[in-house]
Amino acid sequence: MALLTERDNTTVMGKIRPVRSRNFALTVPALLLLVVFFILPVLSLLLRSVLEPEPGLGNYQALLGSTTYLKIFLNTFSVSALVTVVTLAIGFPVAWALAIMPSRLSSIVFAILLLSMWTNLLTRTYAWMVLLQRTGVINKTLMGLGLISEPLPLVNNLVGVTIGMTYIMLPFIILPLYGVIRKIDPAILQAAALCGATRWQALTRVLIPLATPGMVSGALMVFVMSLGYFVTPALLGGTANMMLAELIAQFVQSLVNWGMGGAAALVLLVVTLALYAIQLRLFGTARMEGR
Amino acid sequence: MLLNFDRLGGWKWILVGITGLTAAFLVLPIVFIAALSFGSSQWLIFPPPAWTLKWYEAFFADPRWLEAAGTSFYIAAIVTVLSVLIGLVASFGLVRGRFIGKEGLRALFLTPMILPVVVLAVALYAFFLRIGLNGTVTGFVIAHLVVALPFSILSITNALEGFDKSIEDAAVLCGASPLEAKLRITLPSISHGLFSAAVFSFLTSWDEVVLAIFMASPTLQTLPVKIWATLRQDLTPVIAAASTLLIVITIALMLLVALLRKGLKS
Repeated sequence: MALLTERDNTTVMGKIRPVRSRNFALTVPALLLLVVFFILPVLSLLLRSVLEPEPGLGNYQALLGSTTYLKIFLNTFSVSALVTVVTLAIGFPVAWALAIMPSRLSSIVFAILLLSMWTNLLTRTYAWMVLLQRTGVINKTLMGLGLISEPLPLVNNLVGVTIGMTYIMLPFIILPLYGVIRKIDPAILQAAALCGATRWQALTRVLIPLATPGMVSGALMVFVMSLGYFVTPALLGGTANMMLAELIAQFVQSLVNWGMGGAAALVLLVVTLALYAIQLRLFGTARMEGR
Repeated sequence: MLLNFDRLGGWKWILVGITGLTAAFLVLPIVFIAALSFGSSQWLIFPPPAWTLKWYEAFFADPRWLEAAGTSFYIAAIVTVLSVLIGLVASFGLVRGRFIGKEGLRALFLTPMILPVVVLAVALYAFFLRIGLNGTVTGFVIAHLVVALPFSILSITNALEGFDKSIEDAAVLCGASPLEAKLRITLPSISHGLFSAAVFSFLTSWDEVVLAIFMASPTLQTLPVKIWATLRQDLTPVIAAASTLLIVITIALMLLVALLRKGLKS
């Protein structure tokens, strides 16, 4: 049989050869691509943060010592946290409903989720820019109903970013949560009911605790993805609530300050990796369907 | 109780209500943009005063839009081919190989998916400025390949892990060369994985904005970069027309995948 399976590397010429290199060569093209065009450029960018304009930690002092930049960090975190809370609050009931709905209903919702996820990011952001503008449908409708007399400022501010980001992140929390709730044994909830739990008790003491790992892991993913988002905050947010990714782009593109750009990139990278490490530690696997 | 749809009682309608509203929230903006692309109002007034095709005419009359769409397609096509080829070879190594650090390597291959794209974009921009790849098709292809490859490796390793290798061995036993067995037995068996790798790679490149903004030059830009640049000036309905065309392509590709999956099952 040894002849039939590929070359058996353990016994070549009667000598025992270490098995460490079997088929490794096949991964080399992909590895080379990643090393040359991913790892080395990122490392070199990070290196520039401590070398330019002069060696030292000056860029980090400037970045972390200035209230302007601290405000951007704070804003990045609070927008991401807000988006995470809102997506979780909407995502949990939707995932719950999807897990128990008749499949002809849920398949429609799944199709919508997939369509939304795969529709061009700029298209979705553009749609919200149009909907939320001063003369947009939402303001027109509210004014038509007599609820407001002046158009509400819905775009170029926190409201715009939150709506736009929630729109983009919802599928990323609904799909994994659906998987978690789907795996919960309905008999456990029946048991709770038999033991005299009210619906509310069954929800807060049984269903939610059982779904918590899924919620934490989904929330972490949405939070991390939000931290690094560039396009949607740049188009729907205002200058007053700039986010970290925009700051990095601005350092590099308009200010041509590679040192500061590298330092801001390192901050984003460290936070992202730390949160993924927590995710791996807590749940064993990182969910990586992000775009 | 709580996990039985028919016995939820009043709560059932709350859940269905929230789900319905969320589905509407997700789908209406897309429908809205498609509708507005046929509306006559320059200021995107809804409902439109009249219906027209002039934004599509403007799109197809402007060589810059068409050129950007052509560039996008060209780059996405090259990325798809390279991503599937490199991904296929790497997946064989990851699934069939036995070497130290295999799991670490697998995790490494997926990292471009989880890191913020803006960091990669800025880093590659700096690197390409130095070696003169900025604003070239090669630069675009490399940048998109880095983010497309994880999707490819994920799809193909999944398919390969589900394939029983003894079938390939049987072909060798019946006289096929190892390469012939792979080409005529293994590849057709994992074709669904190859196909989804191709679709995901194509869409990743075709839709990608952030890397593209940094890779673009005044003479070479993809469709998303053109939309981005136009958006920063005004919200012209030509963007709605371009967006609708993108939506149609996305739906077509999604239906293709769904049909293929159905075909595989039956």
